[in-house]
Parts: sequence; C-alpha cells; structure tokens
Amino acid sequence: MLRIEHYSKTYPGGKKAVDDLTLHVRPGEIYGFIGHNGAGKTTTLRAVAGVMDFTEGTIIIDGHDMKKDPVGAKRVTAFLPDNPDLYEFMKGIDYLNFIADLYDIPADQRTADIKKYADAFELTGNLGSAIGSYSHGMRQKLALISAFIRRPKLLILDEPFVGLDPSASHLMKGYLADLCRGGSAVFFSTHVLEVAEKLCHQIAIIKDGRLVKCGATDDLVGDSSLENVFLELEGDK
Amino acid sequence: MKKFFALLKVSVKSMLLSSTNSRGRSRKKAVSGAGAIVLIAILGLYLSGLYSFMLMQVLAPIHMEVLVFIFMGMGALMGGLLFTTFAVKGVVFGGKDNDLLLSMPVSSTMLMVSRVSAIYLENLLFSFFVLGPAGAVCAFMTQAGVGHSLLFWVRLLIAVFALPLLDTALSVLFGALVAFLSAKVSKGALGQNIVMAVYMVAVFWFAFNLNGMIEGLAANAMGVKESLSWAAPMLWMADGIMGDWGKLLLFALSCAVPFVLVVFGLGRVYRQAVTAFAARSARNDYKLSAQSASGQKKALLAKEAKRFFGTPMYLWNAGIGLIMLVAMGVAALVMQKDLRGFIAMIGGDFPVALVAAAVMGFCLSMTAIAAPSISLEGKYLWILREAPVGESALLWMKTGFQLLLSVPCTIVAGVCLAIALELSPVEGVALLLITLLFNGGHAVFGMLVGLAFPKLDAVNETVVVKQSLAVWLGMFVPMAMVGVCCLLYWLGGMITPWASLVLPVILLAVWMAVCALMLTKKGPAMLRAL
Repeated sequence: MLRIEHYSKTYPGGKKAVDDLTLHVRPGEIYGFIGHNGAGKTTTLRAVAGVMDFTEGTIIIDGHDMKKDPVGAKRVTAFLPDNPDLYEFMKGIDYLNFIADLYDIPADQRTADIKKYADAFELTGNLGSAIGSYSHGMRQKLALISAFIRRPKLLILDEPFVGLDPSASHLMKGYLADLCRGGSAVFFSTHVLEVAEKLCHQIAIIKDGRLVKCGATDDLVGDSSLENVFLELEGDK
Repeated sequence: MKKFFALLKVSVKSMLLSSTNSRGRSRKKAVSGAGAIVLIAILGLYLSGLYSFMLMQVLAPIHMEVLVFIFMGMGALMGGLLFTTFAVKGVVFGGKDNDLLLSMPVSSTMLMVSRVSAIYLENLLFSFFVLGPAGAVCAFMTQAGVGHSLLFWVRLLIAVFALPLLDTALSVLFGALVAFLSAKVSKGALGQNIVMAVYMVAVFWFAFNLNGMIEGLAANAMGVKESLSWAAPMLWMADGIMGDWGKLLLFALSCAVPFVLVVFGLGRVYRQAVTAFAARSARNDYKLSAQSASGQKKALLAKEAKRFFGTPMYLWNAGIGLIMLVAMGVAALVMQKDLRGFIAMIGGDFPVALVAAAVMGFCLSMTAIAAPSISLEGKYLWILREAPVGESALLWMKTGFQLLLSVPCTIVAGVCLAIALELSPVEGVALLLITLLFNGGHAVFGMLVGLAFPKLDAVNETVVVKQSLAVWLGMFVPMAMVGVCCLLYWLGGMITPWASLVLPVILLAVWMAVCALMLTKKGPAMLRAL
C-alpha cells in the first residue's frame, strides 16, 4: 500500500532530517513509527501525506507516485497531523462537507458515514457550531471523522492519541482495526509505546533521521517490551 | 519598565516583521519590504502635501491657515480610526500569544499598554504623514510668517505626537465593542459587518460634509471654523500649532486624558475582557439531516466565500475598493447632471474616459482579495496541501474568487459611468475592456505576490490583511500601473489618437499574460516550497 524508497529530506542549511529511509506498509497492516523528538517522524509523515515537498527518494501509495501523480496518491489517503488546525470560520458540518466535496464522496454515503462516526464520537450535536468554539479534543474528533468518511486506503496519523479522551481513544483503535480488516493500511507515529505494542502489526524505529530497526512487532519485541527495545536503541549513541 | 519594553518590543517587532516579511531569512525580501514601505511613505506624503497645498492656496491669502490644520487633523483622526479600529480586535484582544503572555508574571495593564502602544505607533504614522506635509506647506505658503519659526515646528511636533493618543483611545473603545459583539452575537461576523457598515456610512457622510465645507471655504472661512465647534480638540490643536500654547496644552490634555482612562481602565479588566471576547461555547443541539454533495471547484469557491464574508477584517479591507467602485458608478448615474455640468465647466479636451478608467483602476487596486489569501490559510494550509487537488487549480480558484467579485462590480460601475458621462459606444467599450484587463492582471499579480511574500505565521488576521507586504504590493504596484497607463495614454496621443488607447491595452494585456504564465508555471512550485 505504501512504499517509501530511499527517502531523504534535507532542510535549508544542510541539516538532514531524514536520511535514506526505506519501508513498506502492506494492505491490512497497522504500522507504528516511533522515535524520539526531532527524529524525523513528522517530516516523514508529512512527505507521505503530500503536505511537504521532498527531493530525494520515492513515495508510492497504492501505485501512485507522490512526485508524479500527487493528486492520485492523495485521493486514496487521509492525513491527520498532531495538532489539526481546522478552519475556525466554518461549522463542523460545513468542514465535513467541504472535505467530502474535495474527495467526491456521494451525498448518501457521506450522510451515513458522518452519522456513524459523529454519533460514535458524540459530536453530532456540536456539528452546527463554528469550529472556533470547539475544544482541542472536539477538533481532534472532527479531524478524525473527516479522515474516516474518506474511507482511505492509507490513513496517516501523527500522534493521534494526544488530546483524545480514553473512550475516544478506544473507539479510534476499533475503527483503525476495522479499516485494516477492509484492506486499508494505517501508518502512524506515537510516543505511547504500550499502545503501539498492542495495536501495531509492524513497527519502525527512527533515530536521528535514520531507520534503526523495523519489523513485525512480535519479532521486534520478543520477550522484552517495546519500551525496553526503544530505550536500548536510544542508548546506542 | 524593563518588562514593559520587552513586551513592547514583541508587539512592535511582530508588526514590523509582518510588514517587511524579512524574518532575517532573505535580504532580498527585506529590501523589497523596506522599498514598499518607502513607496507608501512617499505616496502618503504626496497625497497629504497635495491636499494641504490645495487648502492653503485658498486659505493663506485670507490668513485662515488654521483651517488647514483642522481639516488635516480630522483627516488624520478619521484615517487612523478607519485603519486601526478593526486592528484592535486582533492585535489587542485576539493575539494568538495571549495565553502565553497572560501566563507570565506581568500585570495585565502592562500587557494591555504594550499592545495598545503598537496601535499608537500605527496612528502616529498617520499623524506624521498627514500633519507633517501640512506644516511644510504652511511654512512655505503662510503669509503671516507663522511657519517660519522653530517654535512652530515644536508645536507641530507636540500635536503630531498627541493626536494619535486620541485616535488610539477611540479605536480601542470601538475595537473593544467590535470584539464584544463578535463574541456575544451568535452570528459574530454578521454583527461586525453591520457595525462596520454603519461606521463606513458615517465616514462617508462626514467626508461628503467635509467636502461641502471646503467648497465654501474661501467665502466663509470664519463661519466654517465656528461651525466646527463640535470638534473642539481639533480647533485647539490648530490654534495651538498656529501659536496659542494654552490651547495646545488643552489639546494635548484632551488627547492624553481619554488615552489614559481607556488604556488603564480597560487594562484593569484586560484579562476578563480577553476571556469574555474569546469565550464561545459550542452548541449541542444540531440534528443531522441528509447532506448534499457538490464538486471540488464549487467547494473551494464556497470556502473562499465563507472566509471572505465571514471575516469582517478581510471583507472590509479587501472589499472596500469594490464598494467604492459600485458606489461611485451609482452616484455618477444619480448625479449625472451635476457631473456633466462640472465637466462642461472644465471645458477643453478633458479626457473623461481616461479619468473614469483611472478612478476605476484606483478603486480596483484597493481590492486585494487574492494577495492575502495564501497567508490567511496560515496554519490551515495543510488541509489544502493534503487534498487531492492540483496546486495550480488551488491557485487559480483563489484568483478566480477575486475575479468573481470584481468583474461584475467593474461591469456595473463601467456601464453606469459610460451612461453618466455620455461616453461614445467606442469609448464605453474601451473603458470596459481596459478595466477588465486591469482586473485580470491585478488578481493574478495579487496571487503571485501572495505566494512570493507569504505570512503564514501571523499572530492574527489583521496582520495579514492590513500590514503584510503582499497586500501592500498587491495594492500599490497596480496603482503604479494605473499611472503608467495614463502616461502611455498621453504619450500615445502625441503619436496618433488610436495609439493612446492601444498602448495601455497592450501594457495591461502583457501584464496579465506574463502574470498568468508565471502563476501557471511557477505558482505550484512556489506553493509547494511554503
């Protein structure tokens, strides 16, 4: 579903945020991307989502090259940044319709999906209010709903659990699993290692812009815990 | 005091950086920014000098120079108010850094004063650009020798510094009212738009009355002065500048006292005010019904429309040119007899169509809708970047939104003017052709400067809409184009009559084509690089 080949990102001034990253996410997989602050996780996710330009390497989503066919790649993708800033001048329902229009989602499908997810996240009653009046958690939920209604083949999430209450987190984990059962893939970054360990089929650990370890969660963790593995790798400086 | 200057530095720095867009990254952009500021300063000084000169020509011979300072003082006060009232909501009460600064160990009054000081500095610029040239004109043209002494300049300087205090006090009060209304009224933007509409009507009414007063100046200068007793501080200021120290002191006090009362009064409740103005809780009574679908283009245009009409700061600053354009066309149609009489009075070969085109171009230049639109995306830009829409389509949609508003207004104003001024069919078509070409060039150029000089990290919308370099360039470069077109008209007329029309058309067509080509070829890469 997602193929990242030799992807590098160099910022003006020469600092390499990500260096020669290669990883593959298969359909039906939840792929966790972990690393310390500034390791290059967000830079990678933003490049995969087509939000950030890059010069080296290739990123292919469902057969669409992000460089050559960005619109095709974005059409099958949904991205949720760590702090989703949504148009404050719009009402929640307007924002969902705006996104649905950009993704050409038919009226009946969007109505059904908005109802399903908004009811589940207990946001339906608030959809008539301006996003400017939403709390951080409500914005996070709205952004999540806007991602789920796209029925993406690849869902990219940057720190999705930050700002969500426990029940919303639980709900989201269920929907992520549902999405993968339907053949989609999820690629997400997190600092919550326990969640990553339980939720992910595959995990990649990035350090100083370089991939230091990746593989199936069970193989990676073995008899230890993800936390121990992560801290051991962090100590290898 | 150290803390106050640290806070003031932040406010002023934010204001200056938003204007120059330098942020220490690009020397070229910093120089362009400084160049734009110099250009605007020269333009401001020129306009003010011109009006002062015209007034002084009438008033100096009858020793009523004092009226020049009254009118120019009123101009500075109204201009400053118009410019800063809506800035107050964003700069003083709606800064994104409010949470950060209010959590710091500084008094809220001090924070309020530092924020208001940024507004004061903006008003001070107005005061300087309006009263400075009036003083210079007075020094050259006065027949009483009053402008020749050093003390005259000292008094003028006191007035220049005192007037913005009154301006700031009034704009903070109005700004607080606007912020209050937008927080308390469920349709905040509508409430603000109504307040702004009433305010604009008042300003236009005042301007028309001022015009009437100036027309009868020479005949009844003393009477005009006496009729202005309602604007006592302006009379005190003018008398003070002309030599009455007592009245100057009275004027300074009439400015300083309201300033201190407003700033320290609101300062005491600043934290409460910021909280109240920001507090908007989401309602919980929405019932989901069947939704309808529309296409990408319609969705993007609707989004631009929601942003434009739902953001009073954007609507009234970027849309004022269109309001003036349509108002001018309709007024010309209503007062066509007077207009024709005025043109007949001037006589000779008065280039009616040229003047009409130039005035329309001037109004259109102020319509900077596309120029700030990229900067207004700011923290939301990721939404468009993530969307399955080509960059080129995004940019053309934003450009198209400006054209969607400006083209119908241009056609309405053009047709009204053509009828009112009794232009021949050829002249009427030429007027429409030139102004429509100008529309195209202006919108695309605005989009380009918006991409070249983005301000994505602005602390509020005010900074983007009123102070960003993209907006300034998007307004003043097209104004310069109007000037160049007039020059080409004149030069063309020296060759053959038809050249006077063809040359500006060629210039505008080339301008539009070059900008459109650049936007198509380079625009997507510029957007990706942001």
